[in-house]
Amino acid sequence: MEKDNKLKRIEHKTLIDKMVKYAFLSICVFCSLCVVFIALFIFIKGITPFFKKYETSVGLKSVNFFKFIFGGTWFKSPNIYGAGYIVINTLIVVILSLLISVPLSVLTALFVVRIAPKKLSMILSIVIELLSGIPSIIYGLFGLGVLTKFVEGLGSIFGIQTAGGISLLATVLVLSIMILPTITTIAITSISSVNNSLILGSLALGASPTQTNFKVVLIGAKSGIFSGIILGIGRALGEATAITMVCGNSGSGISLNPFDITRTLTSTMLQGIHESSGMDYDIRFSIGLLLIVIIIVTNLSLNLIKNRIGNNDGNKKKNKRSAS
Amino acid sequence: MMETKRKIKDLLANGSTYLSASISLIVLLAIILFVFINGSKTLSFKMLTSPYYETPYFAIVEANDEDFSSIEEKEGVYYSYKYGIGIKDSKDLEKKDAVEIVYIDEKSPFNSAKSVDGKTLKIKVGQQIKRIQVKGESGIKVATTSSKASGMIEVLDSGNYINEFYYVDMGGGIRGSLLATLMLVGLTLLIVIPIGVISAIYLSLYAKDNKFTSLLRSLIDMIGGIPSIIFGLISLIVFIPFVSKISSSNGASVLAGAFTLSIMLLPTVIRTTEERINAIPKTYKSASLALGASLTQTAFKVILPNALPGILTSIILCIGRIIGESAALIFAMGTAIQDNVGILQPATTLAVHIWSVMTDENPNFGLACAISIIILVIVLMLNILVKLVSLKFKKYEVKK
Repeated sequence: MEKDNKLKRIEHKTLIDKMVKYAFLSICVFCSLCVVFIALFIFIKGITPFFKKYETSVGLKSVNFFKFIFGGTWFKSPNIYGAGYIVINTLIVVILSLLISVPLSVLTALFVVRIAPKKLSMILSIVIELLSGIPSIIYGLFGLGVLTKFVEGLGSIFGIQTAGGISLLATVLVLSIMILPTITTIAITSISSVNNSLILGSLALGASPTQTNFKVVLIGAKSGIFSGIILGIGRALGEATAITMVCGNSGSGISLNPFDITRTLTSTMLQGIHESSGMDYDIRFSIGLLLIVIIIVTNLSLNLIKNRIGNNDGNKKKNKRSAS
Repeated sequence: MMETKRKIKDLLANGSTYLSASISLIVLLAIILFVFINGSKTLSFKMLTSPYYETPYFAIVEANDEDFSSIEEKEGVYYSYKYGIGIKDSKDLEKKDAVEIVYIDEKSPFNSAKSVDGKTLKIKVGQQIKRIQVKGESGIKVATTSSKASGMIEVLDSGNYINEFYYVDMGGGIRGSLLATLMLVGLTLLIVIPIGVISAIYLSLYAKDNKFTSLLRSLIDMIGGIPSIIFGLISLIVFIPFVSKISSSNGASVLAGAFTLSIMLLPTVIRTTEERINAIPKTYKSASLALGASLTQTAFKVILPNALPGILTSIILCIGRIIGESAALIFAMGTAIQDNVGILQPATTLAVHIWSVMTDENPNFGLACAISIIILVIVLMLNILVKLVSLKFKKYEVKK
C-alpha cells in the first residue's frame, strides 16, 4: 500500500515536471519566434506599397518597385518615392564616420591597454564605459547644440553657407562619436587578449615597444577589432533619432558636399511620423525592409571577410607548427 | 641615422595614441559640460513637479475699501496698495519674461476673486500674471507681461475693477513625462522579466544540448541585432492595433510602448539570467535532485533564488535601456507631451520629451539639457548599481 502511494507521488512529480517543461519550452519558443515574426511582418508590410493601389492626386497608383530602388528623389507630394539615393547617402554617412572613428578607437584601445599608466588607463576605461551608456538622444542634442555650431563656423571660414550647420559633416561627426565607444570596448578586449609570448618575442628580436604595439599587437588583435567594427556598423546603420536631428532630410540627390544636408534611411522613417494611413505611411515599412536587407547583407559579407582573415591566421599557425 | 629615424617614427606613432585617447576624453567632457551649462539654470525641483502646459485662469476682481499701505515691503517687489498684492519680475520655466505673484494680503480682494461664470477662484502666490484689464475712471487699461511688474502695478492702481485678470499655473515642467517613464519602466519589467527568466531557466536547466536549443538561442540573440526603429515599426503593425482591440484606446499608448520594449529587451534579460544560472555550481542541482526534489522544485527553490543577482542585474540594465530609448517609443507612444498620463493614453518618456522639445519650431535647449542631466545622472547611478551588485555577488562566491 505504502509502496503504491510512493509510486503515485513519483508519477505525479514527473507529470508536473513534464508539464512545466513544456510550458517553459513554449514560452522560450515564443521568444525565439519573435524575430521571425518581426521579419515576416516587416516583409509583408514593406512590399504592400508595390502592389496595393492608393488614392493619390493623379488617380489610383501603386509604387513602382524599380523607381523605388533606383530613384533619386523623395517627395511626399506628388508621391515620388525613390530610395536609391537614400541608400547611397546612408552608406556614405556610415563609411565616413567609420573613417573617423575606427582609427580613433583602435588607437585609444591601444593606449588604454599597452601604453597608459595604470591609473590613467582605468580612468579612460571608465570614460569609454560612460560614453557607451549615454542615450542616443543626448548625442543628438549635443550634435544640435555644439557640432552644428562648429560646422557652421567651419563653413563660414571657407565662405560656405550652411543650413545652420545641419549637414552631412555634422551627421558624420555625431555618428562617429556614437560608435567610438562600441568599437573601443571590443578593441580593448581583443588587444588585451593578444598572446604575451608574441609581444615578448617581438621585443627580444630588437623591435622597440612602439613597433611591437603597432606591428605585433594590432595585427594579433585584428580579428577582434574587426568584429568590433562590424558591431559599430550595425549601430551606425540603425541609429535614428540622433541622426535625424542633424541631417536635414534632403529631398533628392547624393550628398557628397560635407556642408550639404543629407538623408538616411532611418531619418526618412522618422520624418513621416505624423501620417497615420495611406501611401506615405505604408512606404515607411518599405524603407524599414530596405534597412533590414542592408543590415543583413553587410553583416553577412563582413562576417565572411572576417572569417577569411581568421582562416589566414589559422593557416599561418598550422604552417608554423608543421615547420617546427 | 637609422636609430633617430626609428625614434621619430615611434614618437609619432605613440603621439597618435595619446591624441586619440585624449579626443575620447574631450568628447565626454564636452558633452557633460554642454549639458550641465545649458541645463543647470533650468533644472529645479519645481520643474519635476510642474505640468508642461500652462493652465490658464480668468478672474474678476473688485477692489474693497481696505487700506494696505502698512504692508512690509521687500526689495524688487512692486506693491499695489489698492489691492494688497505684491508682484515681481521673474522668468517662467522656459526662461521667458514673466510677472509672478509673490504676496497676497489676508484682506486682499484677490482672496475673493470670481471667475467669469461666478465661481470662486483661489489665486495663489507663485502663479504668474499674463494680462490684466482694469476698468477705471479714465476708461479701460490693459497691461501684459511685456509691461513688466512696474507697469502692471500702474495699471492696477488706475481703477477699482479688474474685469479680466488672466493668470496661469506655471508650465514647462516634466511631471507627465516623468510619470510616463516610471509607468513604462514598471509595465515593461512586469512583462519582460517573467518571460525572460522562464526562458533562461528553460535554456539552462531543461533544454538538451542539441541543434534545436542552439537554434532557439541564436534566434533570441538575433533580436538584439535589430535596430530600435524597426521595433517602432513593429509597434505600429502589431502592438498598437492589439492594444486598441483589447481596450478603449485608439492609437499610441504606454502599454503598446511597454510591449514593444519587452520584445526589444528579451535577449538582454535572457542572456544575463542564463549567464548567472550557468555560474551556479552544478553540485547544487545534483544535491537537490539527489534529495528527491523534482526538477520543477529544483528550478524554483534552488536555481531561482541563486539566480537573483542575475535577475537584478538584468532589471538594472533594462531600466537603463528603457530610459534612454527614443526611436521605438516615438512610434509606439507618440510625440505629444502629456500632463495627465494613463496606461492606455499616448505619452512621452523623458528621452522622447527631449525629442519633442528639440524638433519643435523653437528648440528649447534649456529644458532639453535639464532633462538630459536627469537622464545622465540616472544612467550613471544605474552603472554604479550594476557594479555594486556584481561586487556583492562576488563576495558570496568567496564565502562558498
